[in-house]
Amino acid sequence: MEVSMGLPPDGGSIISNSSVSAAVPAGPTTPSTRLIQIAESLRLEHQFLRVPFEHLKKTIRGNHRSVEKEVSVVLSGVADAADRSEGMSKEDAVTHLTSLVSRLQGLKRKLEEGNRTENLQAQRCRARLNHLDGVDAGNMSDWSNTRLKRILVDYMLRMSYYDTAAKMAEISNMQDLVDIDAFLDAKRVIDSLHNKEVAPALAWCIDNRARLKKSKSKFEFQLRLQEFIELVRAENNLQAITYARKYLAPWGATHMKELQRVMATLAFKSSTECVNYKVLFEPKQWDYLVEQFKHEFCKLYGMTLEPLLNIYLQAGLSALKTPFSYEEGCPIEDPLSQDVFRELAAPLPFSKQHHSKLVCHITKELMDTENPPLVLPNGYVYSTKALEEMAKSNDGKVTCPRTGAVFNYTQLVKAFIS
Amino acid sequence: MELTTIEDAFERAIKKQKLSASKTKELIDGMLLAVEQAMKEIQAIPSEGASSSPNSVLMELKSKLTEMAPMNQLEASQKDLAISLGKYGKLLEKQFNTDLSHAYRNVDWDTHTVNHIIAGHFYRQGMFEIGDCFVNEANEVDATSKLRSQYVEMYQILAETRSRNLEPALAWAIKHREHLLKNGSNLELKLHTMQFVEILYKGGRNDALAYAKAYLGPFANNYKTEIQKLMACLLWAGRLDQSPYADLVSQSRWDDLANELVRQFCNLLGHSFSSPLDMVVRAGVQALPTILKMASVMAATNQDWQTMKQLPMPVDLGSEFQFHSIFVCPVLWEPASEENPPMFMPCGHVLCKQAVLKLSKSSTRLFKCPYCPADTTVAECKQLHF
Repeated sequence: MEVSMGLPPDGGSIISNSSVSAAVPAGPTTPSTRLIQIAESLRLEHQFLRVPFEHLKKTIRGNHRSVEKEVSVVLSGVADAADRSEGMSKEDAVTHLTSLVSRLQGLKRKLEEGNRTENLQAQRCRARLNHLDGVDAGNMSDWSNTRLKRILVDYMLRMSYYDTAAKMAEISNMQDLVDIDAFLDAKRVIDSLHNKEVAPALAWCIDNRARLKKSKSKFEFQLRLQEFIELVRAENNLQAITYARKYLAPWGATHMKELQRVMATLAFKSSTECVNYKVLFEPKQWDYLVEQFKHEFCKLYGMTLEPLLNIYLQAGLSALKTPFSYEEGCPIEDPLSQDVFRELAAPLPFSKQHHSKLVCHITKELMDTENPPLVLPNGYVYSTKALEEMAKSNDGKVTCPRTGAVFNYTQLVKAFIS
Repeated sequence: MELTTIEDAFERAIKKQKLSASKTKELIDGMLLAVEQAMKEIQAIPSEGASSSPNSVLMELKSKLTEMAPMNQLEASQKDLAISLGKYGKLLEKQFNTDLSHAYRNVDWDTHTVNHIIAGHFYRQGMFEIGDCFVNEANEVDATSKLRSQYVEMYQILAETRSRNLEPALAWAIKHREHLLKNGSNLELKLHTMQFVEILYKGGRNDALAYAKAYLGPFANNYKTEIQKLMACLLWAGRLDQSPYADLVSQSRWDDLANELVRQFCNLLGHSFSSPLDMVVRAGVQALPTILKMASVMAATNQDWQTMKQLPMPVDLGSEFQFHSIFVCPVLWEPASEENPPMFMPCGHVLCKQAVLKLSKSSTRLFKCPYCPADTTVAECKQLHF
C-alpha cells in the first residue's frame, strides 16, 4: 500500500498521543476520604437550607399576625355591641353580627390560603433536605452538575438576570432547589429604587421591622434621608422640615452626625458646589441604596453577601494557582491557562505546596509508588506506565517526546521522590 | 454531620406548625359558631313584647368569647411553634458553615470577565437556549458571539456523528489534519475506521474493501495492527456483531469517538475538554472547607486574610486537579524552580540544586545523601525535567 501521509515527527508520539487522548486520571482517593469530602461539602450548604426556612418563618409570622388582627377586631366588635346593646334594635344587632360572621368567614378563607402557602414552603424545605440526603458516591457527578446549576442560578438572581435564572430552573426542573421567589420580592424593591421610588422599600422595612431592628440596620433611616434630599432638591423646604421632624428626628439619638449633615442641605441647596453636600444630591446615591438593600436582604435570609459563584471561584482559583500556571507551556487542562481565569486569579493568593506531586508529561497521571517516575539518561522523567507501554510496542526502545532522543528501556533509572 | 437529626428537628417543627394551624382553625370555627348561634337567638326573639332587646344575648356572646380567650390561645400555640422553629434554626447554625463569605477576599472582579466565563460554559455544554438568554440579559452578545458560533459548529458535527453521518466530522478532521497530528490524535483514522465498520456492518463487503483501499491505506504504516484487525473484519461482513470484533460496533465506540471529537475540537480552540468553570467550582468545593478553617484561624490570630500572597496551609485537591509537576525539595522544603531545579543523585534520590550545593559546601567536597548511605559529588548529579 502506498503511504501518502507523512510520518509523525517521531515514532514514540503515536503511543504518547493515543495515551494522552485516553488518559482519564483515576484518583487514588479511597472511599472513606471520598465520604469525608462529601460530608465536608454538604456543610457548605447552609444558605441552601436557610433561605426557604426563613421564607417559611416569614409566612408563618405574617399569617399569625393577620389572624391576631382579625380576631381582635371581631372580639372588640362583639364587646362594643354588647356595651351598646341596651337601646339596640333586633335588626341592628343582626346586621352587626352578620358583618362579624362574614368577617370570620373571610378570615377562614384567608387562613386556608395562608396554610397552603406554608405547606408549599415547608415542602420546599423538605425537598432541599432530601436533596442533601440523596447524595452519595454513586451519583456524585450528577449531583455536582446540579450544584453548579444552583450556584449559577444564585449568581443570575443576584445580578438581576431573572429571565436566565427562571429558564435554568425550568429547563433543569429544579424550581424547588433555587430561590427565585425570594428574589422576586427583592426585585420589586430594587426596580422601584432604580426608578427613584422609596415606598416599596419602606414597606419592606416595615414588614421586617423587628428583624432589621435586631441587626441594628439603618437602611430605613437611609431611605428617609433620601426622601428628605428629594424634597430639598425640589425646594419644598417647608415640607422637608415637616418630614424631618416626623421621620428623621427619631433617629437622632443614634445617627446625629448624618442627620445634621443632611439637614445642612437646606442651606446649601441642590446646586451646591460644596463637595461634602454635593454628593448627597448625586444620582449614584440611589445605586448605593440598591446595594444597601441587597445587603440587608441577603442578611435577612441568611445568604452570603457575595454570589456563591464568586466565593467558590475564589476558593478554587486560590487552590489551583501555582507559579506554573503562569508559565508558557501551561497545559490547557489547567483553567489558569486561560486569560480570563488568570485575570480573576491575579489578586488571589497562591496555593502552598508541601509535598512533591509529579504528573507524567505523557499520560498526565500522577507518578507515585504505584507508577514510579523513571529517569531517562537525558534527565527527562516520565511515568513507568507510559515508558513501559512505549517500550513494549517499540522493541524495547523509548523516545523522549520532548527532545526526540531514543534510549533503551534498560537505560532508565527509577527516581525516589519523598 | 447528621442529616437525620436535622430532618427530625424539621419534621417536629412542621408538626407544631400543623397543630398550630388546626388549633387556629378550631378557634375560629368556635367563634363563628358562637356568633351564628347568637344571631339565631336574636332572630328568634319575638318582635313585640317586653324582652325584645338583643341585650342579654349579646352579653352572653361577649362573655362566651371572653371565656374562650382566643388571643391567649393563639399566642400559646404560636409560642410553642416558635420554640420548635428556633431549635431547627439553631441546629442549622451548628451543623453548617454559616457564612462562606469569611473565605472571601474583597476584590473587584470585572463582571464582564465572569459573565464571559459563564457564557463560555453554557455554549461549551451545548446549552444554547440558556446561553443566548443569558448573554442577552447580561448584554454580552457581541463579546461572546464568536465563541457561540464555534460551539454551534461543534455541536452540529457532533449531532451528525451521533446520527452516524461521519461526513462533517471527517471534513473537519481533514481540514485540521496538521493540528490533530501535532496533538497526536488519530481522530481521522478513528473516523475512517467507524465508516468502514459501518459499511461492513450493513453487509457491503466490496464497498468496505474499496473504502479501506481509498482511505485506510495511508495509515497502514503507523497503525499496522489496527488495520490488520479491520481487514479481518471483512470475513464477518453483515454479522460483525457475532464476530470476535463485536466491540467495533458497540455503542461505547461511538461514545469514545464523540468524546475524542469534542476533545480535539476544544483543543483547537485552546480550551480544555471539561468546562473550566465546572473545574474551578469543583476545586472550590473541595478547597473551601480547608480555606474556611484557615480564615477563621487567621482572624483569631489577627493575621490579614485580605493581603497575604500565599495560602498559609496546603489545600489538598484530588488528582484530577493536578496539572503540573511540583517538586518540593525534601531538605529545603521549597518548591523547585527554574533557578533551583531538582537534581538526581546516582543513588536515585532527588534534591533541589540549592540543597545539593549546600551539602557539598559549594561543590567542593563529597557529600552523603540525606536518605541513604551513598556518597556523591555535584558532578555526578543530573538535572531533572519532570
